[in-house]
Amino acid sequence: MIVALKSWIDRNLKGDPIIWGIVILLSIISILVVYSATGSLAYKFKGGNTEKYLFDHSMMVFGGLLVMWVAHKVPYKWYGLVGRLLLVISIPLLIFTYFFGTNLNEASRWINIPIINKAFQPSDIAKLGLIATLASILAKRQKSLEELKKSFLTIILVIGLICMLIGLANMSTALLLFFTCFLLMFIGRVPGKYLIMCVLFGALFISVSAMVGQRGATFFSRIENYMSKDDTLQYQVEQSYIAISTGGITGKGPGKSEQRNSLPHPYSDFIYAIIIEEYGLIGGGTVLFLYLALLYRGMRIVASSTKPFGGLLSAGLSFALVLQAMVNMGVAVGIGPVTGLPLPLLSMGGTSLLFTGFSLGIILSVSRGDHEDSVDTVVEGNRSKKVFQTA
Amino acid sequence: MNIKRSIVLRVRLAFLIVALIAGAILFKIVRLQFVEGEKWTAKAESANFKYRQVSATRGNIYAADGSLLATSLPFYRVVLDPTVAKTNVFNEGIDQLSGLLADFYKDRSKASYKKMITDAKSNGKRYLILNRKQIGYQDMQMMSTWPIFNKGRMGGGVIFEKVEKRYRPFNSLASRTVGFLNEDRYGAGIEYSFNDYLEGKNGQAMFQKIAGGYWKPVFNAEDIKPEDGYDVHTTLDVNIQDVAESALYRQLMEKDAAFGTVIVMEVATGKIKALANLQKNKNGRGYSESYNYAIGDQGLTEPGSTFKLMSMLALLEEGKVNLNDAVDTGDGVFQFYDRKMTDAKTGGYGRISVREIFEKSSNIGISKLVDQSFGHNPKKFMSYIEKAGLDKPLDFQLKGEGVPYFKKPGEKNWYGTTLPWMSIGYETKLTPLHTLTLYNAVANNGKMVKPMIVESIAKGNYVQKSFQTEVLRKSIASEKTIKQLQELLEGVVKNGTAKNVHNDQYKIAGKTGTAQKLEEGRYTRRYYTSFVGYFPADNPKYSAIVVIDSPKGFNAYGGDISAPVFKEIADKIHAQDLRLNKKTPADVYLAQQTSDFPYIQAGKVDELQLICNKFGISNHANGVNEGYVRSKSMDRSIQWQANQTESPVVPDVSGLPLRDALYVLENKGLRVIYQGKGRVKNQSISPGSPVQQNHVINLILG
Repeated sequence: MIVALKSWIDRNLKGDPIIWGIVILLSIISILVVYSATGSLAYKFKGGNTEKYLFDHSMMVFGGLLVMWVAHKVPYKWYGLVGRLLLVISIPLLIFTYFFGTNLNEASRWINIPIINKAFQPSDIAKLGLIATLASILAKRQKSLEELKKSFLTIILVIGLICMLIGLANMSTALLLFFTCFLLMFIGRVPGKYLIMCVLFGALFISVSAMVGQRGATFFSRIENYMSKDDTLQYQVEQSYIAISTGGITGKGPGKSEQRNSLPHPYSDFIYAIIIEEYGLIGGGTVLFLYLALLYRGMRIVASSTKPFGGLLSAGLSFALVLQAMVNMGVAVGIGPVTGLPLPLLSMGGTSLLFTGFSLGIILSVSRGDHEDSVDTVVEGNRSKKVFQTA
Repeated sequence: MNIKRSIVLRVRLAFLIVALIAGAILFKIVRLQFVEGEKWTAKAESANFKYRQVSATRGNIYAADGSLLATSLPFYRVVLDPTVAKTNVFNEGIDQLSGLLADFYKDRSKASYKKMITDAKSNGKRYLILNRKQIGYQDMQMMSTWPIFNKGRMGGGVIFEKVEKRYRPFNSLASRTVGFLNEDRYGAGIEYSFNDYLEGKNGQAMFQKIAGGYWKPVFNAEDIKPEDGYDVHTTLDVNIQDVAESALYRQLMEKDAAFGTVIVMEVATGKIKALANLQKNKNGRGYSESYNYAIGDQGLTEPGSTFKLMSMLALLEEGKVNLNDAVDTGDGVFQFYDRKMTDAKTGGYGRISVREIFEKSSNIGISKLVDQSFGHNPKKFMSYIEKAGLDKPLDFQLKGEGVPYFKKPGEKNWYGTTLPWMSIGYETKLTPLHTLTLYNAVANNGKMVKPMIVESIAKGNYVQKSFQTEVLRKSIASEKTIKQLQELLEGVVKNGTAKNVHNDQYKIAGKTGTAQKLEEGRYTRRYYTSFVGYFPADNPKYSAIVVIDSPKGFNAYGGDISAPVFKEIADKIHAQDLRLNKKTPADVYLAQQTSDFPYIQAGKVDELQLICNKFGISNHANGVNEGYVRSKSMDRSIQWQANQTESPVVPDVSGLPLRDALYVLENKGLRVIYQGKGRVKNQSISPGSPVQQNHVINLILG
């Protein structure tokens, strides 16, 4: 039985087995915690039908895993092209959303897909597209710094445009994406003075976006709130502290959260506080460790890769995911201003889970491609070189 | 350094940064749990935040013409936290405030108020209810200007606690039909039956507990906004309701009866235009609406002679009886097995026709005929009752409808005497509404429609649900039978027991009923009198039933007690309803040809035009397009002149009825105080002077 399972896994789940393990573990935790956290939501909106949210969320988690599985089957060399395509599509979508999207909390971030009646955020597409494109541009220019200099202006304009469009409705996502791109450029050996220029450009685009965008006021007030050393904490933060503090070392137990009733968005923005409340310091530490481990495995792929595109792609996507996780957890414990970013893989986030699955699938595809490559390299030495050139 | 090693090094550096962030997160968790733990645990225990209910505004109930029958208004309870106001503010204002409170509530002296407040302050009491009486919005506004109170909640410590109260602009009018709903969500009438629509959906919002036990709303994106309730539009006509209620009230007072019921229904549609129920108050003085006898369980009684219509229907349908057949009703006493049936006339009616039996309401005649025709097969008689839809509840829109009671042939309690007694309306139970539905069907040429009281459920202009007239039976009997029944009912008024309501203006058709009341198994000397019928008989528009229970005095018959009430109501409706009057006002006016041209005062232009046109008086507007006009008589015609109601000056309201004057003046922002009755004779601010908001204008009516 176990042998059969193992051989099934070997046949079907290619790529880094540890990443597979982490993702599946986090998915299980996600279903458990979201089920508990949506209790009050279910009572308020669905007349107490808590299974409704459990079912919807579980479907999305499985959907995410399915997308991940499909994506890891595709050779990652295609993702440079896919990324560029996504980037191009995302621009009109972002503009459309800004003007006609579904309004949640006074910001239009969602577009409804008519037939299946699910909403998705074009910023998810833009993020994926931008990171893949950036990775491919940087990879091509690794040979000479001269070439890098030539295309630097294009890079910075694309990053600036996308971040500005996202920032119109969702400043924290824009900032995080910008920082991820910055990190990716740093990893991709962009020289220091360009990086400084990039920061200046970024600051410009972000402030324009904050001035004209819908969330400018919220953005500034949240920063102000965080910076002010006032004794009165924001309501959400105070509730989050209570949750974390009363959780203790081992937690109150699954489904025993009390703060879920008073904490806003206990199933997304503040899910980490609920995790600590129910599973304690041990649970919170474990989740933190799992994200770090995920990043570490993503990093390992970079180290073991022979080709810059795969390495940069994997690094960019893992950092994007884990950085967002860190920001979300940081907000919950109060080391950063309130942002409203969900915890990737754990929060109830609808179609966002599918895009997270897609990112992870790409990372796995890279990890698996390298494995095959290294085998190939031993057998016929010149083939990997050819692949490298086309990438 | 080669490219790959450089990249890997940079990735490791970035990883280190992330690992540092992770470390910071872990550190903060540990700190929150172990260093600040007690602080946050204490906070959690004080439970400062809570989701609380935000009540939805209850929908309104309207009459057919859009008049408000019930609405929700805000009222306030005045509470003071005397510790809030600063000492100097408090000391300066307390004397004057106590005086004002004493003047306003008139229940304690000024000194008593002052003592109560200062005592509370020195005891550190933070929640002092100044008076349990709830005040209206206007009073609340006024109170906010009083000393201490004018410093507001934070500076003066005054709290106006809002309570939503049900308000009925027409007071007790149709109060039982409009109904009520108590805190346990139990109630009666429309308020109870349509509560699902009226109540709306309460919302929820996050509240924070603040000092003194109050809850303050906290902004939260997850709040659920309350959804206001739907409005219920009834078929009730306030004018007819008013007429019905006052006519019933007078008769009840006069006869010192126990209770009474009136239902007025539109024949073609089944729309209930008035539904009045009055019951003697517990203290024995006066009457008020406390139970819906027209529809409810307690209204279920032996109908008495009004049920003879059903018996006639069965006899005629069976085809064994002719209206002109002669029947011997004997000397007024007839023995069925062990029971004696008697007629109202001592000595009996002797040999009379079937028609006369019905008109004079002979018990012996009807029961003999029914016993002859159906005695061997009572099931056949029952089948006619079923066909007429009397055996099952109507499924009326209001909850708590009484279920009709009929004995079944072949069952234990079915005796040989059951059928004869049932034929005259005993040993069987029906609600007044059900009896009326049968008569309405006869008026409606055999088509039985379901009575209805709610026409639609709407919010603003959006109609959520509308109710159509429902046909229960396309035809309860053959056309010939219906015609004969109509003839019989007209005969009752023309020659029979209800001769006293006969009049030359229009024809009434109907039937009297007088049932002895059964109490603890024995028939008493108390009666249940009724009259049910319709008018105008030639082309019936309304049907109605009047029930008066246990009247005192000699003539305790339906014809003497209930029929006059029916006539009073019918007369008024007939006079008011232009469509019912064959003679139009113009005919009357021209016929009289009085030399005097009528004097027409000021008023609303469309109403005045309507009246003038109906009377055939020529009238011209000549380009005036204001809502309110005054008239100028010129050469036997009327010229409408603008009343300057739309310019920003005080308009001339003299000659206007009070209703119109109030509307015009209050729309200008003036506050109206009036004296007397009738139309406006004098106004304290002269026409044409500029309007100053909230100034008081005195009107003298006469």
